[in-house]
Amino acid sequence: MSTEIRSALRAWVVRKNGKISAEQLRDDTPIIEERVVTSLQIMDLILFIEELRGAPVDVESLRGGAFSSINAIYAAFFAKEAA
Amino acid sequence: MTMRPFQKTVDRLCEISRRGYTNPYEAIEWPESLPPDGLCTSPELISIYGTPTYDALTTEQRAKLSFFEAINFYSLNIAGEKPLVEGLASRLHKKRFESYSPYLHHFLDEENKHMIYFGTFCTKYAGRIYPDKKVPLGRREYAEGEEDFLFFAKVMVFEELVDVFNQRMAKDDRLIPVARHINFLHHQDETRHLVFGRQMVHDLFREYAPKWSPEALASVRETIAGYFSATWREYHNPQIYRDTGLSNAYAIYEEGFDHEASRARRRDVSSSCVKLLMNLEVLLEEPVV
Repeated sequence: MSTEIRSALRAWVVRKNGKISAEQLRDDTPIIEERVVTSLQIMDLILFIEELRGAPVDVESLRGGAFSSINAIYAAFFAKEAA
Repeated sequence: MTMRPFQKTVDRLCEISRRGYTNPYEAIEWPESLPPDGLCTSPELISIYGTPTYDALTTEQRAKLSFFEAINFYSLNIAGEKPLVEGLASRLHKKRFESYSPYLHHFLDEENKHMIYFGTFCTKYAGRIYPDKKVPLGRREYAEGEEDFLFFAKVMVFEELVDVFNQRMAKDDRLIPVARHINFLHHQDETRHLVFGRQMVHDLFREYAPKWSPEALASVRETIAGYFSATWREYHNPQIYRDTGLSNAYAIYEEGFDHEASRARRRDVSSSCVKLLMNLEVLLEEPVV
């Protein structure tokens, strides 16, 4: 499950970025800091996360750094469900 | 330098607001339920109108979709009006805006009424308001006047965009009466807010932009262009398609957002506001919408 979700998230980031290759993107790549994902794309990313996990994301309770890398996204939005 | 007060305009706007003062709890007759085949959004303004997915829908599905499009439109209006009310309230009786304060009171009052209209429709007929998905970005240092300018410029962009929808839907006799009426009432107040907003954006930009560094000015332009994109993102919402009962909601969202018919609609609705900002040289090129 974890592998599939991480793979779907990586594929989304690669597709939306348009420049980074699948080989260049690691699960710990700082995607916000390196502007692989821009602040304008965060809302779109939230919608994709909701689709993947089949449940809404509560934006009001988000903690800082939730979107900083694939690892961080997985930990913030999927790890609980998988446990 | 003090801001050139457009006092006569403000006085006139106050007078019209006082004359047209409405009780938000009596302004709209709320039917107990909505006809299942009634339209709540003009088909041409539906986020996926013109896409293969829309073309394949039955009449019943299109009516249901038009209802949830309205829920999304009203929800994003509420999401846009909350920070607007906060920003207006925080500027009340500040020295710089003192002469405008009588109108700011009307502005606040009318925005609150709009949230009552939109919120009542959503909660009464859908049982909820769609949550705002905007992630608040951290505060940063602003150049002199930049924060006030960005506040009023974003307000103007938001109100100019939604007013195009309101104007078109207020006149659309295919819509059920309550949906037309909400759009009409909103447009009626927005005409005054837009007069005020355009002048405020003009004055603030003329006063402060010459003092900003090239980097600060570029950042302002990027922020405004980005605001267009972010606002349009909210108009396309997978939750609309899920609630309509369509499968693959995210794929429909992506298809809808990327489709040429949608781009053309976004450019069309944005065009008068973009032209205004380009005439003021707030924007030097058309934002990607």
